Amino acid sequence: MRIEISGLTKTFKGRGNALDHLDLTVPTGMFGLLGANGAGKTTLMRILAGLLRPTSGTVRIGGEDPTTPAGLLAVQRTLGYLPQDLGVYPDLTARQFLDYIALLKGLDSRPVRRRRIGELLEVVALAQDADRRLKGFSGGMKRRVGIAQALLANPRLLIVDEPTAGLDPEERIRFRTLLAQLAGDRTVLLSTHIVEDVAQTCRILAVLARGRLLFTGEVGELAGFATNKVWTLATPGPPPPGTVVSALPEGGGMRYRVVSAASPGPGAQLLRPTLEDGYLALMEERSAGGIKSAR
Amino acid sequence: MIATLRYEFRMQIRRPALWIVYGIVFAIQGVLINWYFTLDRGLGPILDPRQAMADVTAWTATLPMIAYGCLIADRLVRDRTLRVDGILDATPADATARLLGKFAGVCLAGAVPLALMVVGRGLVWTVMEGDPGGLLWSIVIFVVALGPGLLFTGALALVGPLVMPVTVFRVAFAAYWFWGNLIPPDLMPNLAHTLLAADGEYALLGLFGSTTRVPVEGALLNFLRPDPTAGTGLLSIALILLLAGVALPLARLRREP
Repeated sequence: MRIEISGLTKTFKGRGNALDHLDLTVPTGMFGLLGANGAGKTTLMRILAGLLRPTSGTVRIGGEDPTTPAGLLAVQRTLGYLPQDLGVYPDLTARQFLDYIALLKGLDSRPVRRRRIGELLEVVALAQDADRRLKGFSGGMKRRVGIAQALLANPRLLIVDEPTAGLDPEERIRFRTLLAQLAGDRTVLLSTHIVEDVAQTCRILAVLARGRLLFTGEVGELAGFATNKVWTLATPGPPPPGTVVSALPEGGGMRYRVVSAASPGPGAQLLRPTLEDGYLALMEERSAGGIKSAR
Repeated sequence: MIATLRYEFRMQIRRPALWIVYGIVFAIQGVLINWYFTLDRGLGPILDPRQAMADVTAWTATLPMIAYGCLIADRLVRDRTLRVDGILDATPADATARLLGKFAGVCLAGAVPLALMVVGRGLVWTVMEGDPGGLLWSIVIFVVALGPGLLFTGALALVGPLVMPVTVFRVAFAAYWFWGNLIPPDLMPNLAHTLLAADGEYALLGLFGSTTRVPVEGALLNFLRPDPTAGTGLLSIALILLLAGVALPLARLRREP
């Protein structure tokens, strides 16, 4: 299912543009959406899920316009949505919560519903806890309930907004692997500010900043932004110029990994860039005014 | 709508606060109006089950209705405070149908303790007097006389907290209930004992022969206090249902998109 976004703008009163003439095409498969907090990712997700109306611009999801009632209904029938600020009813059990959402998604047949809920509880490894009330669930377990509810109606479009925020490392890895497995012939739109999550799951991504599209393309292309700009340098003195990616104590000083257009100091050695380096290089270039927007 | 009704009913009826608050209110009211516990209400032998059940319903509609409204007040805004609204709004289920389902579910659950008090009293009457009329009238009177008020206050309690904090609304709702139903009209201009009183007084008086009529001479708004008849009873029901029909759609106005 292809998503086509053209000139999309969303203005909030008193807060300016959350999205500013955004043009973006999302193909079928796993697609990463990177950006700092406040970049406009959640606003974009909420518009795609039909929870917000754009100020201007057009959105087509599988050819449907979610800003019209008929288009919204068609989109929501094919949609699984995991919001960033996921909440659950604490007084329901996981099974009851999923049953309720399944009913709202139109799974009217009780046997079908039961079977589907049972399958998904297995997929998210919550079968043992299915009849416990949600108020006793950890953040990670609630996230897993969230992904289960998103998958109830076997959606062709899965929108997941910051799904790994607040998860411990083990759960994070488990969760993003699950998302990647789900992609297949679905469109999975993964919004996050955690570069590692995109690096491990997506081939294609977009980068947003202040509501504008900075980059869209393959993961390798973004990493390529930092080619010949990633350095390692050991120094006992202050941090070298450039964007420090990491710092490790070494001997009496520190070993830095730095993204910088020029060598950050004597003895600095070039390294092979990662996606995170590419993202930081892109952001640095944007701050310096080198990038206005990308298509 | 049915799914939302089912689950909202389930969540509300299982809520410990529902039973604790009603228990306290019933206990307080039982002390204040102790004739509830005597079959003849302390008036001597009254063997008309319709009249007796109308009086019992009038008793039930005094303080416990405040608990009813206050317990419903957090139900609509709680979807937002629990952050469940995003998931619910992203489903293809019609938002208006969900609102109606929530309204019906929470109102039904909130009305269960009230119904138990009225119908339970009818059951006792039936057992003690050997007359099934007590049970039957208790059900009919609860639905016909108190039902419209329950729908109106339920709608008000869902909508009110959209424009003010829940706690503030609860205080305002209790104040409204006293002003609109309980404070004698000769103390201040109010809606008590009028066709618009949500405690269903006119229906109880006009349709079911309740003996709880309080005459108010010379009070302001007395044009809203005609003699109780079947006609004014029905008019009162219609007006209260109309108010419910006006209040509930307001909940949809604050939604996006």
